[in-house]
Amino acid sequence: MFRLFILIFSVISLANVGLGQEAISPDLIIRNAERSIEISSQLCKVSVKITVENVGKNPVSRYLFTVEPRVVKEVAYISAQASDPARTALRLTPVKVQSRPKDSFWALDLKDNLLPGKTVTFEVEYVVTDALTPHPTAITQKEKQLVKYVGNHYIYSPYRINKQTTTVSLGTRNVESYTKLNPVSISDTTDPMVVHYENNSPFLRVIRLERVIEVSHWGNIAVEETVDMVHVGATLSGPFSRYEFQRESHSGLSSVKSFKTILPAAASDIYYRDDIGNISTSHMRLLGDSVELDLRPRFPLFGGWKTHYVLGYNVPSYEYLYNSGDNYKLKMRVIDHIFDDMAVDELVTRVILPEGSNNIHISSPYPVKRLPDTKHSTYLDTKGRPVITITKNNLVENHIQDFELDYEFPKILMLQEPLLVVVALYILFIMVIIYVRLDFSISKDEVSESRMRVSGLLEKLLLHQDNRANTYSQLDDQLAKLKTNKDVNSFSYAIKNINQEHKTETTQISELLSKVKPEAPEIAEKISELQKLDKYLKDVYGQKQSLYVEKLVPGKIGRTSFVEAENALNKKKEDTIEKINIIMKTLH
Amino acid sequence: MSSEKQETLLKLTILSIAAILSFATRLFSVLRFESVIHEFDPYFNYRTTRYLAEEGFYKFHNWFDDRAWYPLGRIIGGTIYPGLMVTSAVLYHLMWLVNITIDIRNVCVFLAPFFSSLTTIITYLLTKELKGSGAGLVAASMIAIVPGYISRSVAGSYDNEAIAIFCMLLTYYMWIKAVKTGSILWATLTALAYFYMVSSWGGYVFLINLIPMHVLTLMATGRFSHRIYIAYSTLYCVGTMLSMQISFVGFQPVQSSEHMLALGVFGLCQLHSFVDYLRSKLTSSDFEVLFRAMVAVTSALTIIIGTILTFTGKIAPWTGRFYTLLDPSYAKNHIPIIASVSEHQPTSWSSFYFDLQILVFLFPAGLYFCFSSLSDANIFLVLYGVTSIYFAGVMVRLMLVLAPVMCILSGIAVSAMLNIYMKQIDPEKNIDKKKHKLESNFVMKSEIATVFVGLMTFLMITYTFHCTWVTSEAYSSPSIVLSARTHDGSQIIFDDFREAYYWLRMNTPENAKVMSWWDYGYQITAMANRTILVDNNTWNNTHISRVGQAMASTEEHAYSIMRELDVDYVLVIFGGVVGYSSDDINKFLWMVRIGGSTERGAHIKETDYYSPNGEFRVDKEGSPTLLNSLMYKMCYYRFGQVYSEGGKPPGYDRVRGAEIGNKDFELDVLEEAYTTEHWLVRIYKVKPLRNRGV
Repeated sequence: MFRLFILIFSVISLANVGLGQEAISPDLIIRNAERSIEISSQLCKVSVKITVENVGKNPVSRYLFTVEPRVVKEVAYISAQASDPARTALRLTPVKVQSRPKDSFWALDLKDNLLPGKTVTFEVEYVVTDALTPHPTAITQKEKQLVKYVGNHYIYSPYRINKQTTTVSLGTRNVESYTKLNPVSISDTTDPMVVHYENNSPFLRVIRLERVIEVSHWGNIAVEETVDMVHVGATLSGPFSRYEFQRESHSGLSSVKSFKTILPAAASDIYYRDDIGNISTSHMRLLGDSVELDLRPRFPLFGGWKTHYVLGYNVPSYEYLYNSGDNYKLKMRVIDHIFDDMAVDELVTRVILPEGSNNIHISSPYPVKRLPDTKHSTYLDTKGRPVITITKNNLVENHIQDFELDYEFPKILMLQEPLLVVVALYILFIMVIIYVRLDFSISKDEVSESRMRVSGLLEKLLLHQDNRANTYSQLDDQLAKLKTNKDVNSFSYAIKNINQEHKTETTQISELLSKVKPEAPEIAEKISELQKLDKYLKDVYGQKQSLYVEKLVPGKIGRTSFVEAENALNKKKEDTIEKINIIMKTLH
Repeated sequence: MSSEKQETLLKLTILSIAAILSFATRLFSVLRFESVIHEFDPYFNYRTTRYLAEEGFYKFHNWFDDRAWYPLGRIIGGTIYPGLMVTSAVLYHLMWLVNITIDIRNVCVFLAPFFSSLTTIITYLLTKELKGSGAGLVAASMIAIVPGYISRSVAGSYDNEAIAIFCMLLTYYMWIKAVKTGSILWATLTALAYFYMVSSWGGYVFLINLIPMHVLTLMATGRFSHRIYIAYSTLYCVGTMLSMQISFVGFQPVQSSEHMLALGVFGLCQLHSFVDYLRSKLTSSDFEVLFRAMVAVTSALTIIIGTILTFTGKIAPWTGRFYTLLDPSYAKNHIPIIASVSEHQPTSWSSFYFDLQILVFLFPAGLYFCFSSLSDANIFLVLYGVTSIYFAGVMVRLMLVLAPVMCILSGIAVSAMLNIYMKQIDPEKNIDKKKHKLESNFVMKSEIATVFVGLMTFLMITYTFHCTWVTSEAYSSPSIVLSARTHDGSQIIFDDFREAYYWLRMNTPENAKVMSWWDYGYQITAMANRTILVDNNTWNNTHISRVGQAMASTEEHAYSIMRELDVDYVLVIFGGVVGYSSDDINKFLWMVRIGGSTERGAHIKETDYYSPNGEFRVDKEGSPTLLNSLMYKMCYYRFGQVYSEGGKPPGYDRVRGAEIGNKDFELDVLEEAYTTEHWLVRIYKVKPLRNRGV
């Protein structure tokens, strides 16, 4: 019957060659097929080693691989490689064959054209996510988890198979039952193979994973993963007993207490939280080439129990971001490791590029669906950052591969954010300056204004008064000098300047006085009092000077009478200065 | 720089440092744990704020919450003070407007420290009005770190009080301004500040009684003037109108007895000014006759109208919470729910010192300085100080109201004393030598001054250390996450509450009803997002009482109550494994009391739960009623096999320090659904009814 099929196919295939559709070559037969099915985890990993012989007359370049129609949708990942020492990867492209519309095929491009009479060996590996079902579907806390694998005793293939071997590895000795098959030749292509066995490995399924990669050109890439997770193994029936869970080692074998997530080695600032805050039960280990996180959900996950968490970290951008001029290339993983033998139902990866990026192209290692671009606005943004979103369903560990994102970013835009801050601060300070310097009151407050004017004038006055006091001390110095060296000429020369200075200061003060008078008469009065006192003081100095010049230097006066006269003058001087000081204190 | 500019700079520096300090010192818990909401009530506020921020004000206003008080529900919009939520939501939206994408939770967590900074500034302004900027700076620095205020405004303590203290001081500041200037502008601003206060905290009642009391005192001391008349009349009219816009307040300002003082004083103001007017127009003998007649007529009218209104129920009867203020023993005797809250207990003397430290001693000195230069404004301060110290003595939580006035008065005292002594430190500064000679009977004047200033500095420094210590040790634990030290000194974190709440959130049906004691209501709705029977709102005594009855009854009886209330899960807090003392067994007597306080719970008698010796014990000596109650069974289910402490028999309760009396029992109507890692929270599922014939 099988042969018959192939004959029919060959006829059809001949008709279809020109249409670009694939056809099953009647020239190929499978000499030997070794299949190994690995179902010790929650995934079903199948690897088939196929030796094909070309029995026709023409060289063949393609081999068509297929699996049962029931399983096709559950195949998360498929790859093929030649069995040469280099294990060259072979290209697989999904194709349809018109003669068998129910089946889906992958066309495998052989490394070299297979010449007639020759054989070639290659290996196809694929991962099926939903092959195992818990049986029974609900267990109590004490019971072990039993699962059932339903497969096919034979390899499902459009070619004739001369010999095939199948190995099923379970990772356990506890097998409840399995179907037995006598080694007889049956030409039918399907025959259910059922294995019912114990499997306590974590049956964790990520329902939805949202991975957000935020690129900053200031040297950092922030990654945040939001994970919705459910335990898809046998559900827990009956009570959960904490006592048994803590005391008895065989209790809750199928539950998941923790799992390991592996992050890039450069990951730092890692956080692990959920809707209600930080999850404090996690440990981090720094390994040579990665960071290993031991994540413990808030509660152990039994069958049917869900959890949701957010895991975030930063990586330095120099490891993932390359540029030449204004052209950038981001090379990061579409999906990253969550736990060993993971299965992800839905992945949404968003890449947030810096504001102003344009001309964006993304290339992914396997087909993904790209959703419309959106904008994301955050700190110091004006028109928003471009967000590229891609999504894919049904992923496994093998999908941890890099995507490449090319975009252009004018370097000058790096200055935009600092400039924004600068401008904002600048405006703020300008506003403050305007507010402080200008008067916004509707009606003028005369009193405070005149008080301010007066205080301004007084400030000047104090300065002048200081200068004037300075002249007196200079005068004192000169007098003292005169007393010792009795050089009248140099004295009168020096004193001339001092007097000149004193005079200008005094006139300045008088001017200020006239200005203050209309504003504050009582202060003006004090100033004129000051002026009087100063005049008097100047007189005293004049007397002292004449005493020195006219009497002491020529020696017209006796010692005692000189001292008396000088003391009297000094006394007057002191008194006056005291009075001046008092007035000055009040003016302060 | 001129001295004026120097002064401004100094003031600005001190104020900004105080404001920053008041923000920073409240961040202990964020740094030690995480940015998380604390305690119980803040979780409700957080949940409502999130709703407001997401759904908008109108939806918030009309929000009927079916997650709480099943099956009654609760109209949230009409039963809360929305000021806090509106403030956070406005801040949140403002920040998002300028693309500051901060999480609403962080807005809530940091709102209280932010408003503490504002309080620091407003305290400065208020004290400046009362005494001077020197006193203002001291008061501001003191309030920045006073533990009595920090206790309710640490980061994460997202409660009404967090902003209410700011509103209160703002209102006082405006009021003092209004009293001083007599301008309508300031009086209207007072009313607006008062509106903000009303919208944010029930404690506004204190404010609306204090201000009339101030006016009344001014009248009695003959200080009543047109300024006061304008200020108070404007405040009362505008403020009352505005306050009635808050739907939770409604018509209370004109009906309830708590607001009657304000109304009465408003009337009295009108009479007083009318009388003053008449007096200026009439001869004294005519005036005398008229005055007497008027007094008689007015008092008669007041009494008649008052009686009529009271009897027709227009004037609300005196509510329990108000009685507790006047009579500390009132609540204990009449309303167990009020008495069961620890923050409603009378304050102990030690907690005054703990919360205020040297302020307790500086307070009388401040009062002295106020009296020594009495003015309209100072009288207000004296009244505020004296009344709030009374209220703080009645109820622990009102320590919060006392703390600001303590700081203000202490600030005045410190500043006034330093003003005197600082001048005397430097003898050369005594310019006037003649005057100095007259005072020369002061020996070693500058030395004494130095010693005094040194002492003051020392006290201030100890105050700072005390405040920081109290904040870090006593007021900075989020209470949702517990931490303890092991023998070797490392820290263990008990995150059991969130573990349980998150379990409920993820692994129970969306519409499951959870029964727990009311303390955990807000946390369950906010974190687990499940329907609960009773929560911290405690508005319906009979409903809480029903839950109390279920907890206190036998399993069989409790089952009928739980069926009646549609309960799916029951949650209890049990500290026996780790030694967490505020668990449900220790609260159990309150459940019994509240459960027995209504008609349907008449069969529950407190005495049944005591051992023959009159003790509350959980071991073999305990009363059988207790040992067979639902609460006991839920807490101790399978605990009898657990070795909780070395050298003790299994089933040793570390909180009560006893081996439990009822060990091997099975639950008939419940099954254990989840128990957290340290057994702190235990959740049970209510089994469905049995099939017929089984």
